[in-house]
Amino acid sequence: MALSKEVYKEFEDMVGEENICNDPAIMPAYYSTDFAAVILPGNTAEVQAVVKLCNKHKLQFRPICTGWSGMFPKDIILLDLRRMNHIIEINEKNMYAVVEPYVISSELQAELFKRGLNFCIKGAGTNCSAMLRGHGHMDQTTSGDDRNHLAIEWITPEGNIVRSGALGSSDEWFCGDGPGPSLRSILTSAVPPGVTPGVFTKAAIKLYHWPGPSVYPIEGISPHYSLSEIPPNMMARYFSFPSVEKMWQAELKIGESEIAFELMGFNVSMVAANITTCNEEEEETFNRLNSEVQGPGFFVIIAGDSPSDFEYKKRVLEKIVSEADGKSLKAVEDPKIEGILMCQCTRISASIRETFRNGGAFNSIPIMGQRDLTIKWAIGAGKAKEPLIKDGYIVDDGGAFFGWGVEQGHLGKTEIFCKFDPANPEAKAAVEGWQKEQSMRAFKERYFASTMGPQDEIGPALLNYHLWWRKLTKALDPNGVSPEGGALV
Amino acid sequence: MALEDYQGDMGMCCRCSACKFIPMQKVKGSEYSYACPSIAKYNFHAYSAGGRLNIAAAMLKNGFNYTDKLLDIVYNCQMCGACGVSCNYAMDMEVLEPISEFRLKCVEDGKTNPALDKVISGLRKQGSMVPAKGKRGDWAAGLNLKDATKEKVDVLYHVGCLTSYDKDMQKLAKATVKILQKAGVNFGIAGNAETCCGGRAYQMGYKEDFLNQAKKNMAMIKKAGIKTVVTGCADGYQAFKVLYDRFDLKGDLVVLHISEYIDKLIKDGKLKPRKKADISVTYHDPCRLGRLGEPWIHWKGKKIPGDRFVFDPPKPYRRGTNGVYEPPRDVIESVPGVKLTEMTRIKEYSWCCGAGGGVNESNPGFARWTAQKRIEEAVSTGAEAIVTACPLCEKTFNEAIKESGSSLKVYDIVELVEKAI
Repeated sequence: MALSKEVYKEFEDMVGEENICNDPAIMPAYYSTDFAAVILPGNTAEVQAVVKLCNKHKLQFRPICTGWSGMFPKDIILLDLRRMNHIIEINEKNMYAVVEPYVISSELQAELFKRGLNFCIKGAGTNCSAMLRGHGHMDQTTSGDDRNHLAIEWITPEGNIVRSGALGSSDEWFCGDGPGPSLRSILTSAVPPGVTPGVFTKAAIKLYHWPGPSVYPIEGISPHYSLSEIPPNMMARYFSFPSVEKMWQAELKIGESEIAFELMGFNVSMVAANITTCNEEEEETFNRLNSEVQGPGFFVIIAGDSPSDFEYKKRVLEKIVSEADGKSLKAVEDPKIEGILMCQCTRISASIRETFRNGGAFNSIPIMGQRDLTIKWAIGAGKAKEPLIKDGYIVDDGGAFFGWGVEQGHLGKTEIFCKFDPANPEAKAAVEGWQKEQSMRAFKERYFASTMGPQDEIGPALLNYHLWWRKLTKALDPNGVSPEGGALV
Repeated sequence: MALEDYQGDMGMCCRCSACKFIPMQKVKGSEYSYACPSIAKYNFHAYSAGGRLNIAAAMLKNGFNYTDKLLDIVYNCQMCGACGVSCNYAMDMEVLEPISEFRLKCVEDGKTNPALDKVISGLRKQGSMVPAKGKRGDWAAGLNLKDATKEKVDVLYHVGCLTSYDKDMQKLAKATVKILQKAGVNFGIAGNAETCCGGRAYQMGYKEDFLNQAKKNMAMIKKAGIKTVVTGCADGYQAFKVLYDRFDLKGDLVVLHISEYIDKLIKDGKLKPRKKADISVTYHDPCRLGRLGEPWIHWKGKKIPGDRFVFDPPKPYRRGTNGVYEPPRDVIESVPGVKLTEMTRIKEYSWCCGAGGGVNESNPGFARWTAQKRIEEAVSTGAEAIVTACPLCEKTFNEAIKESGSSLKVYDIVELVEKAI
């Protein structure tokens, strides 16, 4: 549906002619549909004005940041938040940072490292918005999901500005729950649809201590980056174990002893993806590493606050791994490989090499909850991958899954995915079938997977939350202008 | 190769936006994190490499619907290749090649940019990408240089259009001559017989004009029996070394950029920069000497059916790894008293000067905006001067400085060396 000249002019007056476009040429850049227009708001006031106009003309809108992709209905107003890319504040004393949506994690993290601080980098990668809710490599020490958002500035679907938490009663961002309105369950919900209508325009992110260097000593030319030296008091290792039970026991003890900066339950296919520079090298490396490991394993980064702290943590790690009959993967003991992995996991958040390089697409099932239980589910989902591997639909990663502890193992996440060529319809169908089947299995076995099914199916098992969510959505969005999809993609 | 041949590559784009930024582990903060001038200036995702690939793929599928906006997107790209470096850190896919093919297709379909048409018209008439006043070899009057088309020389110094015709830039040719003479090199120039390398015509989308120029140059070189060409500009370097090779025109011609050649002369003990310069500088990597200057890799193969985007035989990607990065730095550091401080965006992920891809002609304001960002970055290092290795970069930087009033000085690497010998 094309906008009338008059309506287009109203939007144009809000953002300037250079920041709105309805030319069909630009649409495929975003998604394979026709948008009514793409608009680039530059600040909160412009977002609010645009959203109010959308309400006035009953036009649906959705915001978008760096990507990756999303589902975008036809004829909506797409708000590309590219111009909202400012770090508003880094509050070292109170350990939070306030950012606009298009500040990417790599930018914020680089600024934080200079100050001895860090924050949760989500698995989507450091190329994505620092505001994203989610999990990542460093959850062990930086927590994850909704726990890292403090006060949030939110444009509701009707175009009102809501400032949550401390920001609701002051100009401070230090708390998401008060004094002022706590809207945590609405703004940062993990339950499907797991997204909030409206637009987030600023958010305060919780910061954590960073024991590493202010800048990694990177050498080499892309794609052969490595560290010229392993930073003082830091170490990265990969351990494999004779059984899942042994691995889990070691993981649990490492969490209890609070010695790991990062613990990522990588499989070796993901190690191989991260340390290699092309698909062929990755396949060869995976086959080699796979023959060296004795079973499931995890990747650990130890980071000491002092030489003695580092020595203590190393000794505890050695003892725990030894008691669980763990075996260190020799390849990762090579300082070059160790440095690449350390940097990949903390500065890149790994994702692109792991997920898209092989075939161009992947489908994932993330499961939240206690690691020892979710691993059991994941083993089944891994077995279910085997026929797809055999048929050549998905990349052979040994049926592997991965996962990690959050907050030293108090919480956990396990995930499994299939990498495939989306241009192959048979492969796509097979992967979608696998995802649907295994998500349903998760639901039936009472695991929490964000892919587990339509709200009407899962809602009754979750206190009919979906009915309440719909009432809330209706109240927040009486004109139905903010379709499901979220305040931030 | 045509745009159609890159369908698989375009399909690999996962819209991660990595192409907009320098490689993630090289990001040093909120400043100087962008790699692509086009997305940094124009903001719509369509102006990023990922956006361009998605548009091209959609048009291959649904038909080419040329609009003014589409052509604005196509021609507001310096073809600098920074996007490809950032993408190819993690991904196996071609990035700049399909973007370039899309532009070639626009030109083939007659969807050209009037300013670029004018430049190409000049090229066809005068063999130059810049307005030709006088004769190409006039700058060498009185220097008594050998005519490489008639006399036996070890090295042909290919001067380039801008340096030959622009009175403000002819100093670079004279500095180069002085350096080569000081080192005792048996070199010559083609003088009035020199013609444009054609490289910038290719960047602008005019493939046939590029090929005409390439054939003329190689015919002259073969006839004269020249074995080694030294170019004074990065565009010329990339044309002779990479593009001529790509189209099987280069043969066994040895192609060196002047910075590489000076580096060699210094390391061989034939040239000794002795005079102290006492200046703090930063170095700007020209795109076509750096990431786009890496050798062409001849490859033919087929995608292996299955789950991975892999080929038989394995496809080697040009990821910017083997560009010319160290020789110019070694030359700069060989000058006594010079202190070299690096900018944030260097080597394979260097920010473009703004002039590439015909943007200097089609949208001079965008070229200057891009150059201005680089000047700001250079100033942030505390350097007194920015040194580059391409006359087009120097010219664009000087225009930006004139506009902004910055006190930063701009030198080509040959000017720095000339002062020291």
